[in-house]
Amino acid sequence: MTQKETITENKQEDELRIGAFICECGINIAGTVDCHAVADYISTMPHVTTAVVNKYTCSDAGQAEIKKAIKDMNLNRVLVASCTPKTHEPIFRACVEEAGLNPYLFEFVNIREHCSWIHMWEKEDATNKAKELVRMGVARAALLEPLESSEVPVTDAALVIGAGVTGMQAAMDIADMGHKVYLVEQGPSIGGKMAQLDKTFPTNDCSICILGPKMVEVARNKNIEIMSYSEIVDVDGYVGNFKVNVKHKPRYLDIDECTGCGLCTEKCPVEVPYTEFNEGIGTRKAIYTPFPQAVPLRALVDKSICIDCGACIKACERGAIDMDQKETFSELDVGVIVVTAGFDVYNPEPNNEFGFGLYDNVITTMEFERLINASGPTMGKVVRPSDVKPPKRIGFVQCVGSRDKNSNIYCSSFCCMASLKNAQLLKEKYPETEVYIMYMDMRTPFRMYEEFYNRARDMGVRFIRGRPAEVTENDDHNIIARIEDTLTNEIVNLELDLMVLSVGAVAPESTETVRQILKVSKAADGFMMEAHPKLKPVDTTLDGIFIGGMTQGPKDIPYSISQGSACAARATRFLAQGKALTEGITAKVDDDICVGCGVCVPMCPFQALSVEDNKLNIITALCKGCGTCMAACPTGALQQSHFKNEQLLAQVKNVFAYGEV
Amino acid sequence: MANVGDMVVGYATDENVRSRGASGGLVTAVLAAALEKGLVENVVVMKHINEFEAVPIITDNVEEVLASTGSLHSVPVNLAKYAVGRKVAMPAKPCDVQAVIEQGKREMIDLDNTYIVGLNCGGSMHPITTKKMLVEMYDIDPEDVIGEEIEKGKLIFKTKNGEEKAIAIDELEEAGFGRRESCRFCTLKIPVNADLACGNWGVIGDMAGNATFCQVMNEKGAKLLENAIEAGRIEVQPASDKAIAIRDKVNSVMEDLGSYLEKEIFPEIPDEERMQYYMDQMENCIDCGACKEVCPVCACGEDSKCTMFHSLVDNYKMSMYHLVRFMHLSDSCIACGQCSDVCPSDIPITLLQSRFSIPSQRRRNYQPGMNLDTPPFFEVMLK
Amino acid sequence: MMTDKEWTPKIVAFCCNWCSYGGADTAGMGRFQQPASTRVIRVMCSGRIDPLHVFNAFLEGADAVLVTGCHIGDCHYVNGNEKTEVRYQFLEEMLQQLGLEPDRLHLNWISASEGERFANFIKDVTAKVKELGPSPLKPAGVK
Repeated sequence: MTQKETITENKQEDELRIGAFICECGINIAGTVDCHAVADYISTMPHVTTAVVNKYTCSDAGQAEIKKAIKDMNLNRVLVASCTPKTHEPIFRACVEEAGLNPYLFEFVNIREHCSWIHMWEKEDATNKAKELVRMGVARAALLEPLESSEVPVTDAALVIGAGVTGMQAAMDIADMGHKVYLVEQGPSIGGKMAQLDKTFPTNDCSICILGPKMVEVARNKNIEIMSYSEIVDVDGYVGNFKVNVKHKPRYLDIDECTGCGLCTEKCPVEVPYTEFNEGIGTRKAIYTPFPQAVPLRALVDKSICIDCGACIKACERGAIDMDQKETFSELDVGVIVVTAGFDVYNPEPNNEFGFGLYDNVITTMEFERLINASGPTMGKVVRPSDVKPPKRIGFVQCVGSRDKNSNIYCSSFCCMASLKNAQLLKEKYPETEVYIMYMDMRTPFRMYEEFYNRARDMGVRFIRGRPAEVTENDDHNIIARIEDTLTNEIVNLELDLMVLSVGAVAPESTETVRQILKVSKAADGFMMEAHPKLKPVDTTLDGIFIGGMTQGPKDIPYSISQGSACAARATRFLAQGKALTEGITAKVDDDICVGCGVCVPMCPFQALSVEDNKLNIITALCKGCGTCMAACPTGALQQSHFKNEQLLAQVKNVFAYGEV
Repeated sequence: MANVGDMVVGYATDENVRSRGASGGLVTAVLAAALEKGLVENVVVMKHINEFEAVPIITDNVEEVLASTGSLHSVPVNLAKYAVGRKVAMPAKPCDVQAVIEQGKREMIDLDNTYIVGLNCGGSMHPITTKKMLVEMYDIDPEDVIGEEIEKGKLIFKTKNGEEKAIAIDELEEAGFGRRESCRFCTLKIPVNADLACGNWGVIGDMAGNATFCQVMNEKGAKLLENAIEAGRIEVQPASDKAIAIRDKVNSVMEDLGSYLEKEIFPEIPDEERMQYYMDQMENCIDCGACKEVCPVCACGEDSKCTMFHSLVDNYKMSMYHLVRFMHLSDSCIACGQCSDVCPSDIPITLLQSRFSIPSQRRRNYQPGMNLDTPPFFEVMLK
Repeated sequence: MMTDKEWTPKIVAFCCNWCSYGGADTAGMGRFQQPASTRVIRVMCSGRIDPLHVFNAFLEGADAVLVTGCHIGDCHYVNGNEKTEVRYQFLEEMLQQLGLEPDRLHLNWISASEGERFANFIKDVTAKVKELGPSPLKPAGVK
């Protein structure tokens, strides 16, 4: 049986010269840990050339001292014992790199968060622990190996999934920077949810009036290829080299021949409620164009209700209709992917929240948007569903499906402003209408929003702090909301002609499919998760894949558009450079030891591993360096660079010592 | 035509093979036909040296296959690793089959190109133990033995001069003879995990001793059997209901015995004494690594995690080598007993390993080496 | 420096970079005081934690070993922690069969925001192990 050398034994040919820098962090560390005692102890360890104490190692002076020591003492390993690598590792890595040392030859020891701050009253114990932590670090430092990030070429094209306002913005920005964009949209038109809205806060512009020209602009952009009525089926590959399979659903007509003239729709005898765009208010035909401003302005056939009468085929002057059309597929090669797949509004029907689904005159914000929209099914005339009469008393209930332990605990952020906007529109159109907003807290951050709130108040909108405890209907189909106004401690029975539920946003099922295809992480709220909540808000942990708009969580239009642009900027970095760097910490295999058993292959969540001819093949560009495969490897042939078994075991071994510290 | 699920009784058409073979020479004939017709490139067989010695050989010579009827008590070596990297047909005990399948899961054996003729196994005996037992318990000169049989819990030896002597297996095993320890608690007696499951259980009437009962377990098995019939090497007839019932009966008796003995072989050790028990058992380990070398389910080469981080200085307490092995084999150990057989320090490694692996496997309702559906180690629970 | 001070166990905690290491950091930032028993070793993902590392920690002298990672569903590498969980079950069964007290090995999911949870976990395990005394696998003379 083979016996390996003791694991701490140094295998480097060059003599090891470790420099240890112990940070006092003002009194953050030095107030508890005797840093000089730590330095004295560590300076006696093998290979430690120098051990010094700094007031603040991360300061310019501290970093200068590290660089000087590297040069003067020819250090080939640097250890800093200070705070957490999560914030400071990049700083020190850059520092040693500037002094000519490979950044992976730097070792970080945390003696602040993991020592001085949590043992504030046990100074002796804390000092001993700090000595041990640094001892562990020195043992690991001795075994560190230089690593290089590797470079991969990047295909000069981007995929944007979802053509709502965020996706349109991202696509245009990328295209305007000179790169090819495939804009894939599952619906028959681009524009997303914003196309359905009436006006937008805080300026009350007409939504489609500002969105429509933008949609046309997207269609006109030579670098953008719109793939409407299409879905992502499969994505393979890695940053710079994604292969995407897109399914084009059949519209049952030739999109190049159709002009969107609408003759077919006129002749079609089949009529159903238009749920997709008008929230079921009003109707559409079996062959229809999505809405007047649709891009592309082309018809499509709803085969599930078509009776094959042939009227449309006769009506079409251009012979565009093809009832035998099949779905088709495209293979796209792209370098980066932006996901702007949007949201669904919360559905209060399953639990009949606030009487929704039980009483006709309880509707959602989205239905209200269509009702008050001048190009909507009622031509902008607000009527209530039960008797099609104009309502005189309208109440908005906030936080339906948001900030509620029974549904979603998060705040959907746009609904307060949406209700304020709708309340104002009502007051403008029908000044005699009584408008109530029932709320828990009105949330109006950002420019002009609080002013918008004040304006609604000035217009006579009434605010009741409380949520209806009970909702019933009387014989006139009026809604009675029993509610405690928590500001006056009064219980009110509010009689309303129409009650609007201000529903929040939820992650739609179609997004979940895309998320699983791409393997982007999911946050607790069900939306996709960004790489860092503050520092990388549109990145994902997967290189080359970005998320923006509602896909990343609920937000309003300006914020979504900003994220669309942010995604474009982040993604275009790769396209502009034409190359991508992959992380130095990856899986490596020792071919002499590997037997090709393949136990590791299914461990990899990124499909980076495969066995060919009894040998393991690693696609380094796919590897994210998690190390899960190494733990499964029975032979030890797989190693994670920078977290090799030897390196980790050296740390373990040096937790302990014989005799006294 | 042979179909999956068929149960037949058959024998070799060649008189010579039929008479020399243990039970009508069906297995030998099937293997020979597989080679002859190009189903495989090689066949693994036991080359007869004498009654107590036979060695596994890999051959592409049909005559050598036909001449290969095994010895009574050859060294009970696990044959799985002979199939690594080859297109072979082989005879196999249930534990051989398990090992072949485990190796298949680890990409070491291409099961699509490996044909396994499984043999019923009531347990195997060490040749040295057997010789000693013949002298001490049976008062028979080992050189005089020409045959043996297990019937109604008794082990029967036949000698040159036509005599038979039977002693109860319980009695033999109590006296420290009989089957290897790992065979005693084994409950996989009919190789239902092989392509063909063959044996003499259920061969009755005038066929007894002259034919083999054979069950077709899968498509490959059907192909094997059909191939031998087409080649004119064997003749088969459907097994009677009575034959099937008898085979099942023998099997269930053997299984029950295994389950019963398991309780005897693995007495409960109280929580607080177990660590000391393992330390005591393993204190004589000399780190030779033979147990790893011989393990038929381990696919590692010379270097592996168990050896790489092992240090001799750990041995006085608990060695990294054994800890890693206990862990790594806890889902895949088939308790074939090879490691105990080869240990120069006589450490009952199979028994120690089984204390870890049997409960782990039972808890997951999992038996290693039965099919390719469940992947190896750590992945068992993921799907 | 051997004093009459009460014996403190030595505990090795393997923490994943994204969640539980962050949890330990947050415990520090929140000044949640803990016994000085635990030494944190950082890995990128709890899926990297090999039973080998756990055995090694015990053989070197650990009185307890902690395997920690992100909550299920929050893994930065899709589902590394689910694999950790499977491995851990095997490991736990094995060490219990070996005769090691169950309180010497723990699995816990701690997010980067759960500093107090991290501190309480350390306090809790330290108290339990203090009652058990030194690990039977601890080599003599090691501290």
